[in-house]
Amino acid sequence: MRGVVWRQLLRFAILNVPPWIEPIVMAFWSAFFLLWGPGRRGVMRNLKVIKPGSSAIANFFRCYRVFWNYAWTIADNVRFKELRTIPDWEFIGRDHFQAMQASSGAILLTAHMGSYDLGAHLFSETSTRRIVMVRAPEEDVETREFEEQHGAEGLRIEFNTRATELALDLLDTVREGAIVAIQGDRVVGTISTLPATLFGRPTTVPAGPFALAMAARVPIFPVFVVRIGRRHYRLVTARPIEITRSSNRDDDFARAVAQWMTELEGVVRECWYQWFTFEPYWPEAAA
Amino acid sequence: MNVVIDRPEAYWLPSRHRFALSRLIAYAKLRAARAITNDVEHLILPIDRDQAAVEMNGAAIWVFVTTVCYIAAALPLIWPAAILAAIPIAAIVLQFPIVGIGPIVRMVMGDGDHIKIISVITMSLLVIASSYFAVSTSWARYVAWFFFAVLIVNGAAAIVLWLLRGGIRAAEERCVR
Repeated sequence: MRGVVWRQLLRFAILNVPPWIEPIVMAFWSAFFLLWGPGRRGVMRNLKVIKPGSSAIANFFRCYRVFWNYAWTIADNVRFKELRTIPDWEFIGRDHFQAMQASSGAILLTAHMGSYDLGAHLFSETSTRRIVMVRAPEEDVETREFEEQHGAEGLRIEFNTRATELALDLLDTVREGAIVAIQGDRVVGTISTLPATLFGRPTTVPAGPFALAMAARVPIFPVFVVRIGRRHYRLVTARPIEITRSSNRDDDFARAVAQWMTELEGVVRECWYQWFTFEPYWPEAAA
Repeated sequence: MNVVIDRPEAYWLPSRHRFALSRLIAYAKLRAARAITNDVEHLILPIDRDQAAVEMNGAAIWVFVTTVCYIAAALPLIWPAAILAAIPIAAIVLQFPIVGIGPIVRMVMGDGDHIKIISVITMSLLVIASSYFAVSTSWARYVAWFFFAVLIVNGAAAIVLWLLRGGIRAAEERCVR
């Protein structure tokens, strides 16, 4: 769903809807967005792969649950930006999280789940490490301007458009000890990719985080921000992915990607209702 | 914003609840919850009055059901059909104060957080609607009476909270410390 109007409406709602009406508003608009055909079909096709043998009717209701969670997630994110309201946080894999904080530079690899932005803001506020978020830019100029205008303070965001320059910038940033946060579950735009397998089906993932980790010799920490209730999130940090250098670079990448896909698959299987992928993820799911 | 770290009993801080009745229940729970085991490795709980999910979801259901009943009572249909029709209408009607009054408030007071004023206006409209149905002969009068009963109980809880304010403050400080 693109366009600045939706963002303006969401911001208006955050600043005007009483919390004791909010669940009704969320339920209504989640149902309204079921009319968004491409998004609904995309989610339902992905669900068919995640839950083999599932029926279309069951996936339709599951799709509603995905929309419901997405609505709360983006609302919580805007609420944080506008009102500095933070949700309850609980941590799983805290040892890994602390290892990431203590490392001299790391890649935080995450997925389109829960609130990526809210998680990054939490890091920026609680961590002594500098965090740099890398993301796909908004295509619409107005939307991009709106996001820049209403962005949270204290967080550097880089857009993955200027590939070579950005790669060098990020390499310097990681070497300086910062944490670079990247979404590594799907390929957006024309970026270099690596082959992968998710739920037994071939796919591709962005090559950037793996190449960066190898070049900077830093670990990759899979981190997932999972919404577990109203204003309540869980931060799951998995064991780090170390990219060892050998004579065969492709094998090195393949091992790292396989570990990443294992973590991602486990989380998506358990929290399918929070994997915000509104386009068919697998090529055959699009057919 | 203040936060409480690694104290699961802080879920029941009255300061994390909005309505007096809910704050009173939270206080009772807080007194009972002396040694909740923390089943997560690390917990951060912000102290914000709108944080409690059960309270806000409960209030939303109560307001929604009340509005559905009023609309169903006003519709010229047999009651099962009226209730079915009233469900989507109520979901839309409850947003009228926000989209109708929100822009006016924004024009008068400027851009910013107007939740409190919209909240007061919306609740006032519900009180007006409940007053209308409470004195009617419609079946919805029972819903309206229940609505006022909840308001009265909440008011009584506010008085009890005021009387217990010292103990509540001390219990909160003990939990946050």
